[in-house]
Amino acid sequence: MDNIKTIFRREFAAYFNSPIAYIFIIVFLVLNCGLFMTPFFLQGMADMRDFFGNLPLFLIFFIPAVSMRLWAEDQRNGTFELLMTLPMKSSEVMLGKYFAAMAFYMTALIATLPIPIMLIVLGNPDVGAILSGYLGALLLGGLYMSVGIFTSGLLKDQISAFILGMLACFVLFLIGIPTVSATIDGWIGGLGSLLAESLGLMGHYQSLQRGVLELGDLSYFLALTVVFLMLNNLWLEGRKHG
Amino acid sequence: MIEVRGVTKRYGPTVALDDVSFRLDRGEILGFLGPNGAGKSTAMKIITTFLAPDAGSVEVDGIDVLERPLEVRSRIGYLPETNPLYVDMLVYEYLEFVGRARGLSGSRLKSRLDWVVDACGLGSVYGKHVHQLSKGFKQRTGLGQALIHDPDILILDEPTSGLDPLQIIGIRELIQGLASTKTIIFSTHILQEVRPVTDRVVIINDGRLVADGHITKLEQDAMERNRIYVSVHAAADDVAPVLSGVSGVATAELLGEHDGVARFEVRTGFDQDVRVPLGAAIHGRGWDLVELHESRFSLEDTFIALTRKTSGGTGVHHG
Repeated sequence: MDNIKTIFRREFAAYFNSPIAYIFIIVFLVLNCGLFMTPFFLQGMADMRDFFGNLPLFLIFFIPAVSMRLWAEDQRNGTFELLMTLPMKSSEVMLGKYFAAMAFYMTALIATLPIPIMLIVLGNPDVGAILSGYLGALLLGGLYMSVGIFTSGLLKDQISAFILGMLACFVLFLIGIPTVSATIDGWIGGLGSLLAESLGLMGHYQSLQRGVLELGDLSYFLALTVVFLMLNNLWLEGRKHG
Repeated sequence: MIEVRGVTKRYGPTVALDDVSFRLDRGEILGFLGPNGAGKSTAMKIITTFLAPDAGSVEVDGIDVLERPLEVRSRIGYLPETNPLYVDMLVYEYLEFVGRARGLSGSRLKSRLDWVVDACGLGSVYGKHVHQLSKGFKQRTGLGQALIHDPDILILDEPTSGLDPLQIIGIRELIQGLASTKTIIFSTHILQEVRPVTDRVVIINDGRLVADGHITKLEQDAMERNRIYVSVHAAADDVAPVLSGVSGVATAELLGEHDGVARFEVRTGFDQDVRVPLGAAIHGRGWDLVELHESRFSLEDTFIALTRKTSGGTGVHHG
């Protein structure tokens, strides 16, 4: 636990050691709130449905941009060799990095809190739905981040890691879209719906967005996140023999 | 303390290390020599558990690097060839981070930080960003990182590469200062860097071990191969038995005959100077001596000869 904490502190601070962190958070806020506020004023409804609805697509760009440096930067700087010769497990280094990236993402999420506060002050929103929406945003980001840290390990170049991470997240997003799964069903009967139900994230995300908390949806996100983290750890362990 | 047995490592089709074995006892300092790309870094990466060998085994303090890597790592301080610095951190933040990651905390961490800053001469740059440091200070910071947990074993991969002469002396003195309490392996491709620090060397070339021993011994072996060149104004067939007859001469080999001058390469036993008796013998026959000079084989020549790209295993081994 101490080991994870040590890595976490270094990695979290690393985000804020350069202006990129602040640029990221500003971009996150401007784009997200901009996309949300435009229809918000037209509809005149006190909810955040649109805000959370935009996230699955928006995070496909944002999360890999946060995660791309996690391993790629260390591999390029030579600090990877330092980390992998510290007296701690590679999984501890990985979790420290993962949690640091998640803490950074949560900082960006926390910066959006003025929106629900404003809604509560001005109107009478469904607070439960907003809370479960934020939980969904956290779980969705957590899943994308696990994909992103995995792809960051595969490549030494941050930009390549970013693009690969984006593609992988996009695939997870696409196979859960009804039109896409219907198209795949058209090619091979049943495959599209099977993929959409087992791996596609939209169904699970949308129920959280509606304020429905179900164990199945929660475990979908957590299980798939764990799978990608384990893949990352397999790569870390197998690398020695390469 | 460190036992490398038959280690082989391949990167795809390239053989980086081919059946390399050597051992190092507690308190010894080993100069790990070889030209660039000989496999020094690969060997060090295997000892520090960063890479796993394809064949063979490595034990550090009796612990197998594959079976219990974490215990091996906690005993080793390692400065890789690419100095692993976080340039966005302050010098003390960086050292503190590595210290914590190596299990130090509280007053122990504080006292180790003070020791490292003092030993590595980092006092003047303590609060600076790592990216602001000169190459020499960066290297010292890297060394500080390797020393923070007071390890028994130090593995330093080319600690002086890219430094100016004054900085090299600084790092050398630092290593010498640590010599009494630690077991050290440091690699270099420059022979002269080893001599002031230690006598014990391992030389590898093309992934193979070509020499393992003490510089003084290797140098003696090199001197045994001293040659004397003799040119005499006489018929080669007459001269050869006369040269061979001089006491101390091992062999006299005809190199060529030109314009009535025969040129020989004479080899002698260890540390015997036969130039005067040779001159006397030739003079006694009434021949004209055209050339008489000794060509000393320095350790430098040996090193160059050993590390020249060889296909066959013409290595010299000394325990």
